[in-house]
Parts: sequence; C-alpha cells; structure tokens
Amino acid sequence: MPVDLPMPRVGPLAEHAPRPIKVVLNWGRRYSLWVFNFGLACCAIEFIATSMGSHDFIRLGVIPFAPGPRQADLMVVSGTVTDKMAPAIRRLYDQMPEPKYVISFGACSNSGGPYWDSYCVTKGVDQIIPVDVYVPGCPPRPEALLQGIIRLQEKIAAESLSGAALRRKYAAHRTPSAAELSRPLLLDARHGPAGQVAR
Amino acid sequence: MKVTQAVEIPLAEWVSSVGDHVSQGFSYFDWLTAVDQTDATDEPGFDVVVHLLDVTAPERLRSVLLRTRVPDGAAVASLTPVFHGAAWHERETHEMFGIDFAGFDDGTGLGLRPLLLPDGFEGTPLRKSFMLAARASKPWPGAKEPGEGHGEGLRSGAPSRRRVQAPGVPPPEWGPR
Ligand code: SF4
Repeated sequence: MPVDLPMPRVGPLAEHAPRPIKVVLNWGRRYSLWVFNFGLACCAIEFIATSMGSHDFIRLGVIPFAPGPRQADLMVVSGTVTDKMAPAIRRLYDQMPEPKYVISFGACSNSGGPYWDSYCVTKGVDQIIPVDVYVPGCPPRPEALLQGIIRLQEKIAAESLSGAALRRKYAAHRTPSAAELSRPLLLDARHGPAGQVAR
Repeated sequence: MKVTQAVEIPLAEWVSSVGDHVSQGFSYFDWLTAVDQTDATDEPGFDVVVHLLDVTAPERLRSVLLRTRVPDGAAVASLTPVFHGAAWHERETHEMFGIDFAGFDDGTGLGLRPLLLPDGFEGTPLRKSFMLAARASKPWPGAKEPGEGHGEGLRSGAPSRRRVQAPGVPPPEWGPR
C-alpha cells in the first residue's frame, strides 16, 4: 500500500528565514552531499581513489552511497561524454531533486579533452547540463577533486535558496515531464516505432 | 600480441582463403576491421583485415593477419558463414567505413544495421573523407596541431599559424574559424 507523502521542498520558510537560519541551512547542505558518480572512463578510477581510505572525501561530508540519482545532491561527471551517452546524462540529471550540483571532473567532461576532434565525443558536459565546478586534469589527481569539492562547498555556503535564485539557476533549462524521465533511451531495432531498421 | 604473419588475399578468394586458414588450425577469430587506403596510388580502396589465432598450443600462440583490398563501393563477401561472431565486427566495419558485406547473416534476418553510432548519425566516421565538423564551428582548442613539434611553439612564443592538414580537417572553403 503506497503511502502518500508530500514532496519535500525548500519552502517559503527557508526563503524568508533570517540570515542566521540560512547559514545553518546552507551549512547543513554543504556537509551532506550525497554524490552520484557518473563514471564514464579513466577519470572514474581517480574518483574512486578519492572515495577510498587515503583521500577519503567522506570527511568533507561527501557521501558516495546514493542509491541512484533520485537520492543524490551532487553529480560528478568523470570521464568521456559521448553523444550517445549524453541523453542518459541529461535524463539522470533531470531525475535529481533540486537543489542539485554538478562537478565536471577531468579534461574530457570539461571540454572533450584529448578526444575533442572525435566524431562521437561531446565537447564538454556543460553543453547538456549546468556545471558548478570544473576540475582540470587528465586525469586530475584526487587532491584536485577534494579542492573542487571545497570550492563547491564555498559556493553552497554563499548561496541563497530563494525561489527567485533557484529559478535563475535552473529555469534556463527546461523542466522535464514525467514521461521524459521514464522513456526508453534506445530504439529496439525489431520493435522500433518505425517497425523497421533505419539505413 | 605480435603479429607474425600477414597474407594478402585477392578479393574473390576472401571467404575460401579464410576457410583454408581455419582448417590449418587458425580457428580462433580475434577481430575484423578495415583500413582506409583510398589515397593509395595503386588499387585505391579499403583493406579489410581479419586477425586469426591458432590456440591449440597456448604457450606458442600463432597468429595470422589476412588482408584483402576492396575498391570503394564494392562489396566483400561476409565471413559470417565461417565465424558467426564476425557479425558484430562486420556490422561495426559497415557503419564506420560504409563497406558492404555480401551474404551477411547473423541469424536475425535484420541485415547490416547500425551497432554503435547514435540513432540518426549520418556518415561513415572512420573514412578519411569524413569531416570533423567540430573544427568547422569552433577553433581547435589545443595549443598545437596534431603532428606539430614540441620545440618550435616554445621558441616563437605564440601558437604557430601553420595548419597541418590532417585527414578530416575541414579545408579553408568551409569558412573562417
Ligand atoms: S580526462 Fe583523461 S583520464 Fe579523464 S577520462 Fe578523459 S582521457 Fe581519461
């Protein structure tokens, strides 16, 4: 029996809260970043290294146990974004609840990196989703990701979560419909809408 | 692994010759691909290449590279009757180079359909004639062109204006960048 729960949201209370309360709210958000790793290539290994014992980003409040994008606050795109993967990234980003943040990790997701010239590589993940922090390198060292996370936390601390500020950040991007979030990504050659194979 | 033996095969004997090598013990299909040789002076076309291994003695692997030259537009006979698994490689080679494989059959009856490229992708990206369209709309973000040496850029201070015409780089007729 499904329980009908209201959607948790950053309501007018947070919007009109006095400054000290906003500081507390921002403090709470910046040190509880459930992260969703979009690992696409070699950089993902550096991301994993950062989450492990010797670098340990959990001490910065980054929690790598989000079961999926719907429970995550932060998406780290680490690796080569291809044009075929791009719709999947956009869709998983759309599934994340607001406020949400994106770190682009590595030359590939920043700009296409060494594959800039390729016919199939997207020239930067910022062409499809808004990026908050770029971490340069091929691959960046784990310390660079820690630095990127601290940068993001500084940004969150300075943020105002009023409705207007949220709209400024996300409204330039369309809001997806429920159907878009659950549509299949690939056409099945045998049962595609056209009923036949292209080409 | 080191390729120890390469054999050129006439186009007409492609399937029968591959079959001969299989009966000589090269019964493990490693991969199949093509090489764009359309700028060769004699017999321009595409080299279709297949790599076979003899795995009967794992400590002494033998391998053979079989190659045939296919003129642009001509079809090469499919290896799927010999190796079923060649279907994946032939589908990829077809979409990347636009080479047709006559008699292709992977058991689905759907023929040579795209495998890796995104839906609606137009063109055959691994041909040398395929334009890298990103170059037409954005300047190359690197400090150096591919093939440019290390020393000269450092000495002159500014990135060199000289353009190395690598295959696929849009010519000046494509407009300013
Ligand atoms: S930036 Fe370098 S290390 Fe990272 S995914 Fe790209 S090629 Fe791999």
